[in-house]
Amino acid sequence: MAVVQSKSVKHVPTFCYNCVSGPDFMSVKVEDGVATDIEPNFAAAEVHPAKGKVCVKAYGLVQKTYNPNRILSPMKRTNPKKGRNEDPGFVAISWEEALDIVAQKLNAARAKGLVDAAGLPRVAVSLGHGGTPSNYMGTFPAFLAAWGAVDYSFGSGQGVKCVHSEHLYGEFWHRGFTVAADTPNARYVIAVGANVDVTGGPCAVIRHADARVRGYKRVQVEPHLTVTGACSAEWVPIRPKTDPAFLFALIHVLVCEHGLTKLDIPFLRDRTASPYLVAPDGLYLRDPQSGKPLIWDEVSGAAVTHDTPGAQPAVAGCYRVAHAVVVDADKERREYADVEGKTAYEMLARHIEKYTPEWAETICDVKAATIRRIANEYLENASIGATIDIDGKTLPLRPVAVTLGKSVNNGWGAYECCWARTVLAALVGALENPGGLVGTTVRLNKSRDNRHLGVAPGEDGFMVQYFNPTSKEDWQTEPATRNLHQSLVPIVGHNGAWSQALGPTQLAWMFQGERPDDWTMPMPTLPEVWIVYRSNPSISFWDTRRLAEIAARFPFMACVAYTVDETNYMADVLLPEATDLESTQMIRMGGTKYMEQFWDYKGVVLRQKAVEPQGDARDFTWITTELAKRTNLLDPYVKAINKGISGVSPLKGEGYDFSLDPAGELAPEKIWDAVCRAASLTLSGGREEHDLDWFREHGFYAVPMSRLEWYLTPTMEKHGLRYELPYQERLLRIGRELGNRLHEKNMNWWDEQLSEYAALPEWHDVPARWVRNLERSGAKIEDFPFWLLTTKSMQYHAGGNAGIEMMHEVALNLRGHAGVIMNAKTAASLGIADGDRVEVRSHIGATYGKAALVQGIRPDTLVIIGQFDHWAQPFAKDLDIPSLNTIAPMALDLTDATGSGADIVRVAVRRVEVPA
Amino acid sequence: MKRYVMTIDLRRCVGCQTCTAACKSTNATPPGIQWRRVLDLETGEFPDVRRTFLPIACMHCGNPPCEQVCPTKATTKRADGLVAIDYDLCIGCANCVMACPYDARSIVHESHFAYGDTPMPSEAKRFDPSRVGVSMKCTFCVDRIDEAAVTGRTPGVHPEVTPACVNSCISGAMQFGDIEDSESNVSRLLGETQHYRMHEELGTEPSVYYIWDQS
Repeated sequence: MAVVQSKSVKHVPTFCYNCVSGPDFMSVKVEDGVATDIEPNFAAAEVHPAKGKVCVKAYGLVQKTYNPNRILSPMKRTNPKKGRNEDPGFVAISWEEALDIVAQKLNAARAKGLVDAAGLPRVAVSLGHGGTPSNYMGTFPAFLAAWGAVDYSFGSGQGVKCVHSEHLYGEFWHRGFTVAADTPNARYVIAVGANVDVTGGPCAVIRHADARVRGYKRVQVEPHLTVTGACSAEWVPIRPKTDPAFLFALIHVLVCEHGLTKLDIPFLRDRTASPYLVAPDGLYLRDPQSGKPLIWDEVSGAAVTHDTPGAQPAVAGCYRVAHAVVVDADKERREYADVEGKTAYEMLARHIEKYTPEWAETICDVKAATIRRIANEYLENASIGATIDIDGKTLPLRPVAVTLGKSVNNGWGAYECCWARTVLAALVGALENPGGLVGTTVRLNKSRDNRHLGVAPGEDGFMVQYFNPTSKEDWQTEPATRNLHQSLVPIVGHNGAWSQALGPTQLAWMFQGERPDDWTMPMPTLPEVWIVYRSNPSISFWDTRRLAEIAARFPFMACVAYTVDETNYMADVLLPEATDLESTQMIRMGGTKYMEQFWDYKGVVLRQKAVEPQGDARDFTWITTELAKRTNLLDPYVKAINKGISGVSPLKGEGYDFSLDPAGELAPEKIWDAVCRAASLTLSGGREEHDLDWFREHGFYAVPMSRLEWYLTPTMEKHGLRYELPYQERLLRIGRELGNRLHEKNMNWWDEQLSEYAALPEWHDVPARWVRNLERSGAKIEDFPFWLLTTKSMQYHAGGNAGIEMMHEVALNLRGHAGVIMNAKTAASLGIADGDRVEVRSHIGATYGKAALVQGIRPDTLVIIGQFDHWAQPFAKDLDIPSLNTIAPMALDLTDATGSGADIVRVAVRRVEVPA
Repeated sequence: MKRYVMTIDLRRCVGCQTCTAACKSTNATPPGIQWRRVLDLETGEFPDVRRTFLPIACMHCGNPPCEQVCPTKATTKRADGLVAIDYDLCIGCANCVMACPYDARSIVHESHFAYGDTPMPSEAKRFDPSRVGVSMKCTFCVDRIDEAAVTGRTPGVHPEVTPACVNSCISGAMQFGDIEDSESNVSRLLGETQHYRMHEELGTEPSVYYIWDQS
């Protein structure tokens, strides 16, 4: 037998969007109809910041296609009992039967009404990994839009355990659902746990590599020396979850040691609320007639409204105001005469005075001199006063940023961190200016493809916000979703497609079991139909063993399945989809997107069928259309497609009409051909129309975009708006109002979370919250002396590709990848040698793996990479890799006000004997 | 005369293993066989620790120890600098595996596949029985280099004739080209940067240059 020369070889352009940092370009080598290799698509090198390349994950897609463990025909469960120890007894069925079963359940639910007696949707949908499924699920969003009320409460971990607080506060302050350094212009970056060389995708990797060669400095502040830390100029091994103290001390150095004269006064004066006068009760002093916040005008020597033409606002200081009002929660108005008002900046300066580097050293275990030096370097590199020309416009150049990583920017302490880093940017004028800190996309506001369109005048000189109401009249007393996002989290809003999914999704899981004693809302029900796509919460959430037990109680579950996994093990029906290399879809690319995906181009890119689907797997768009037919939703489904919900452009626009007819042909190719034509015409301003065949050959279509779109500050300036910084008067008021509503319903179980609504965040002992959690369970802190953290790896996108053999092989080249990373000296003191099998135990359970001894980790910290501990998924279940998710609790007291938690838990570690 | 070399900028490498995976994918190496990989190295003691990523593979030495010990002349040094193995001549004696100071060679004695004994279609398509029982290593994607000689395209400039690892590198750490051409990308880069070659003291004259910032 010898290698047979292939008769036909083709290279098929397509994209990879397996992690949130996509899409990236690639080409599939197909030999005689078999996909054999993944290559960069160098035809995209000019438009793509990563020069047409994909990361390591994409090279596993050939194995993903031909993995013998795939589900290749629809299946139904034959064992009515569900549970980890119950063999589902899946048997193959026809597509006809599978779709009929699912449609019958959907129709039965719909016949009773979209919501049940508790006011909750009868249908729930779970989508995995940071929204990436939407780049693979074809027209399914159009089906969901056609359906109506759907509950997205049952999350798989994205959001609440990802970078949740950053999503919410970032979007609130500067339309930054994800926030990044403007790396192409950066000179100095303080990365607090931000593992961007792992999570930022090829765009971030090449940009930071270029920046290193250029001579930028990145200081990595984190308990464990990650890949990104390894590539940084300096590693600062901070104590876990004490990051707010470190950041507060940086602000202290800038504000209290350098002072206002060294900061960006014009930015603070004109683009922030620093000049707003604050009453002794902590609320803004307002003009009695207009209700507008007051500032002190240095020209007239009087308090005037913030928008008074010609006024020269004082940034610092205290001023006497003859007559003013404040407006408290529930519009309670109080009058003041001859009252002292301090500017918001003054409030900040006094507030931050106590947070010295010396104080922070005792909290963070980082030397005061180090903190002070870093603050000084940050200020020096900010080059206040410098400018840069971008596409003919002169903008400030402030090449410094603080970036935050997972478990720093979510869970308790994250509000403080998000606030501090955004204030640090504002103090030097680096917020949304070249070189500085930029938001890259919006998901809680519209339009999701242009965050500048989400900026419009709102209250008090700030941009408009769409908070969930907390007023007596409009507060949602009976939650419409099982994660209570509209009732509990005002800031997550109701304006974006993702608002619901960004609610406190652990509550949806937890409250199916126990609820607080003083719960007075309707009892949450289980959805009658649960659809799961590219999501495995039984591996990726917290307390995953318990979560799997809850999942087993859902009455009907249909999973779009790749292989059997720990969640679809409980399914009633499995629907095999055509995977990445076998299916068709067009998505938007470029512009500004997640992470460091801010490009010089924007456009569309096609994922296409490089090879025929294996077995009887079907394109998800075909599956969706069949469901729409069987649920009599074809008309609204097609209307939604025509509106552009599942594509990238409406199918009807100025000078073109490719609208689909519900009675006509609706094959996936027909749908995507219409999308291709509409998209190319829209992007080209009507000059070019390209059909599906054109895109199959070329892969993508892009048009240039100005870098001015990267920065929000010019847009803020155009609207005459201020960033709502540094003082959080609105949050303070809203928190009080929310408290009123809950207390009126005799509910106090959210009181701890209400404490987060502070105008200026105070340090509280953040790590102690996890200690108290275990003590409440009856455990003793001395029995759990270590912090267990997790970190991502580039080889894996959450747990999604854990069944790919090649990823496992290459990931093992990285230290500690499949084990428990711990400090070598600590391990020696416990009699643990490298490679020993160890048990890592928290107060809720244990996980097992091999010890990987390193120096680059704090002695009090352990790290387990990724999301593993599979027990059902073929190949992955045999890896014997531990997981933090198995032993990290889901708990109300570990949930912050935004509804997020963090991947951290107190643990013990010990060597275990391996049976002979 | 051409002499192809590879440069690896350690300031850029993030240890992502994209090159490792691309090499495996392009060259269809069996599970566990990596013609190249990125080492993850740590030096120092907490808290003064450095973690470094170091890609390694066959160094295509100018004076290859593997060639010297090969009893059948299966391993040869080509005129363009590549160290090649003729699988028809190789008897799998492993002398070269032992002689290589870079741990760059491996031998597979039995065919095996990603998910057991049965090859997936992608594996079956490219299964090469001539690579069982013989010494294997990075070839610098020799088929592409040979194609360049035919088409006139330039390795290191045109992706079709550039090694897969270099093409795949997302940090831009790797470059490939003719060091005898003073205008080539690698010559220019080496002229502008500090660099070293691994185990140069052994006299092997490696064709892989590591760029680093000695300060």
